[in-house]
Amino acid sequence: MTVTQDLEIWTLVANASLVVKLVMVLLLAVSFMSWLFIFNKLFAIRTAREQTDKFEREFWSGNDLNALYQGAVNNRHSIGSQERIFEAGFREYTKLRSQRGTDVTTMVDGARRAMRATYQREMDHLERHLAFLASTGSVSPYVGLFGTVWGIMHAFRGLANVQQATLAQVAPGIAEALVATAIGLFAAIPAVVAYNRYSHDIDRLAIRFESFMEEFSNILQRQAVR
Amino acid sequence: MAEALAPRFEHYEPSVIPSAALAAAVHLVLLAILVFGVRWQSRPPESVMVELWQPPAPVVEAPRVEPPASAPEPKPEPRVEPPKPDIAVKAPPPPKAVAKPEPKPRPEAKPKPPAPPREDVQKRLREELAREQLALNVERERQSIKEQLQREQTSASAKAQADYIARIRVKIHGNIVMPPDIKGNPEAIFDVVQLPNGEVLSVKLRKSSGHRGYDEGVERAILKSSPLPKADAGLFNRQLELKFRPLDK
Repeated sequence: MTVTQDLEIWTLVANASLVVKLVMVLLLAVSFMSWLFIFNKLFAIRTAREQTDKFEREFWSGNDLNALYQGAVNNRHSIGSQERIFEAGFREYTKLRSQRGTDVTTMVDGARRAMRATYQREMDHLERHLAFLASTGSVSPYVGLFGTVWGIMHAFRGLANVQQATLAQVAPGIAEALVATAIGLFAAIPAVVAYNRYSHDIDRLAIRFESFMEEFSNILQRQAVR
Repeated sequence: MAEALAPRFEHYEPSVIPSAALAAAVHLVLLAILVFGVRWQSRPPESVMVELWQPPAPVVEAPRVEPPASAPEPKPEPRVEPPKPDIAVKAPPPPKAVAKPEPKPRPEAKPKPPAPPREDVQKRLREELAREQLALNVERERQSIKEQLQREQTSASAKAQADYIARIRVKIHGNIVMPPDIKGNPEAIFDVVQLPNGEVLSVKLRKSSGHRGYDEGVERAILKSSPLPKADAGLFNRQLELKFRPLDK
């Protein structure tokens, strides 16, 4: 009756039933992936913001548009999203301009469509993996809860076979089951925080891109009229 | 119009390796916190509990020598306690042991007096013997009185014991639900282990009555009767052997 339960985290995990173990492994894998994406996205978004800052500085410092375009084409593999949008719009604009008989609205509209297409592509790229973080944040607590409920069922089934029921007989089972919930929450909380943070950051970048597109369209229109 | 292929840029993608390393580091930190930061050891307060219920019995009943040996380990005690009726049986022998040595010193004394007298030795010896005899008789009488007293005492304690068992049986009897189809008057014997407060610890059927319904009914009744009636001081018995017959009482 006097059983000293040695509640070491390893023994807890090792004594868990198969389903609970599977849940724990799944949650650990999900947690690792979500942390991987959290750091990956952190770097990606930081780089995107730096590149955008750099390009905006260059663009508004009054450089020649042709020179900017040449620079963008030459470094096309290392430039940021905003520069790509600029590059696509300006290329379309010069193409349309080289054809005779295109009026101003057609030129500007064509350039704007090209920029919109590039913008969509860039946004899609920036938002990659965010869905994974979102679903990790919403689903992994449930998965952990499932593991816990399963483990507690197991613990109480064991209790039913004993004549003299004591808390000490269920406590280890419940503790090991709760480890599943703990892992689930550990995976979910950072994922939710990161998802909110990153979607907010990406929204701000998107607003910058969109306003740049409008301003650049105006500049192109002014050039075309001239 | 041969449109140039849509520009396919290679997107900047941060390398996975640093991210993976950082993710692994985060998990290692969490693991370290779990293993070293949380006290997973639970203390056993129950060891005190065991010592609480075991010792009272030896204090009341157990013969002189056993308690110190049994103190550290409570388990052997129950085996020591059961033969309590034996105490009554054991008690009589000591007086006999005391009585025997007493007569002996006098026979030893005999050889000394015979030495000085010569002709009246036999007379004196006879007188001496008669006196011895008298003393022995008195001794014997005293002894028999003592034994009788002892017997009366043991019979009294046996009576109290029987009374105690009867009280337990009455209480259990009240709780037996008789199966309707029982025939005859078969006997069922149960071994019951109880705690000093009368709580029933276990019930084991030793001899079935041959009717399962009756056996189970009695077992349920014993469990239902927990706690059993309290024993008077010195009468408590951890293990009880209870016999039941359907037509008792």
